Amino acid sequence: MITVDRLTVSYGAFTAVDDVSFVAQPGRVTGFLGPNGAGKSTTMRVMVGLTPASRGQVTIGGLLYRDIPNPGRHVGVLLDAGAQHAGRTGREILAIGAETMGLPRTRVDEMLALVGLTDAEAKRRLRNYSLGMKQRLGIAHALLGDPSVLILDEPANGLDPAGIRWMRGLLKGYADRGGTVLLSSHLLHEVEQIADEMILIGHGRIVAQGDKQSLLANAGGADVTLVTSLDNAGLGSALTAAGHVVEAAGSGLKVTASTEQVGRVALAAGVVLTDLRSGGAGLEDLFLELTSSTQRDAFPNGVPA
Amino acid sequence: MSSLAAPPQVLDVSNTPPVPFGRLVKVEWRKMLDTRAGLWLLIISAGLLALISGIVLLVVALADVTPPTANDWLNIMTIPVSMLVPVMAITIVTQEWSQRTAMVTFALEASRLRVVLAKLVAVMALGAATIALAAVLGLVGNVVGAALAGTDADWNVTVGAFGWALATQVLYLLMGFGFGLLLLSSPAALALYYVYVWILEGGVILPGIMYVLYFTMDWAQAVLPWISMRLSMLPFQLSDDDVRSIESDIGATLDTGVLGLARVITSVLIWVGIPLLLGTWRLLRAEVK
Repeated sequence: MITVDRLTVSYGAFTAVDDVSFVAQPGRVTGFLGPNGAGKSTTMRVMVGLTPASRGQVTIGGLLYRDIPNPGRHVGVLLDAGAQHAGRTGREILAIGAETMGLPRTRVDEMLALVGLTDAEAKRRLRNYSLGMKQRLGIAHALLGDPSVLILDEPANGLDPAGIRWMRGLLKGYADRGGTVLLSSHLLHEVEQIADEMILIGHGRIVAQGDKQSLLANAGGADVTLVTSLDNAGLGSALTAAGHVVEAAGSGLKVTASTEQVGRVALAAGVVLTDLRSGGAGLEDLFLELTSSTQRDAFPNGVPA
Repeated sequence: MSSLAAPPQVLDVSNTPPVPFGRLVKVEWRKMLDTRAGLWLLIISAGLLALISGIVLLVVALADVTPPTANDWLNIMTIPVSMLVPVMAITIVTQEWSQRTAMVTFALEASRLRVVLAKLVAVMALGAATIALAAVLGLVGNVVGAALAGTDADWNVTVGAFGWALATQVLYLLMGFGFGLLLLSSPAALALYYVYVWILEGGVILPGIMYVLYFTMDWAQAVLPWISMRLSMLPFQLSDDDVRSIESDIGATLDTGVLGLARVITSVLIWVGIPLLLGTWRLLRAEVK
């Protein structure tokens, strides 16, 4: 279990992490989401003792990182897959880790096989690795000591779609066996499908947290439905008559009502529906909205989700 | 990770001993040798030592000169050693920053002081091996040189002179290590080291700025022995004849008593002690990215 307790990290006047608290539970995958520069990596570096906290603290299983003996055996860490000596072979990088942790050499082969790096690839030097291969090696390094807690910063970065799916399965299985997994990402769809719990961070502050359902429920606002029918004009006036706000949207209508309400009005009006779906804020909209104050690029209204 | 019905909220570390210090040293030793850069530094070191003794012997064999004595060999062999060993000491520290491996190293051993000490022990061992190789080559060179010239080998090195030369090389190693910790950058630390050793101090062949000033300026005779490690150690290293001739040159006495020792300690503190202390302090507090 990772407990972040009122953590603040300041650099002079700039506050990179501002009073952040959350818990990553064992048996669950916790996604740490936010745009670039939101404070995810800084928070993760504090967890591992690489960056000092200005205020607050992080404990892992009740201990400060520096109080965990042979920490590689308990906490698997991947903060930057590129932070390895470019002149070492992949196998040598794992061998150094295994030697430090006091693991048998066979563990290196097991991990190489697990992350799908071939013998020939393991003999290459890191400078000749693609980003995806570096990520696989980094994940292998994090898993070397058979830890019960995983801290992964942007692990999906550079992986191809098949690699992302592979990683998803790996981490899911890991959490199912009781492990604690915290992974960060700036891409919602990478995390959405595996994270049991999501922490949304923007501008160094947590803007929302919870599972997908509760996040969407808390997003609030009135229901919005997108509907297309064989008689949009007729349906539109029936909906307006029923007291709903209607506007044209593409080939259909956008209605401020639930899908059920729209369906009932259509039934009563005898209009055939060809498409009916919730047009409410998806997780992506929510993510952009919550972190918009820190977003580098302005999004015009009506950008397709 | 074991399969448990209720995942534990607390880490059970009762069965995990800390990483033994010896293992950290072994890992640091391995990291010095497992890259092409590290391997080449070793090959160049051994090659340079062999090359220099080879050239000296070649000159003795081809030209009709008096072969170098043991003391000459000592002076010659300290040059490559002082060029190479501190480079090892600098890079063992700075490489972690230029290659950003410090993130991994300190994640696997959270006590940075233990990592620093393990690095120091590992690089001292490598430095000792290099110095031993230089000593053996000098020894063999002295025998072979005398044989080539048809004379008896001259073993005119005293234990004291050898001891001071050894101490100087160890201090240079520590200095390099300290510069590395303080600057955390290979080029900066290397530049500072070479400026100090080759430009300020100078060697047997080319005297450095401080050395020249000492023999030409009155103020320098009072000040520089407190600052320059070479000048502070000079009175202890010279033979009695040399001491007398220098004393008559500069019109002052070379102190080998308490004052002389105080000068040695002060100059070593300036160039070795303070960089090591400040550098370690910096490393312990630095943010690792």
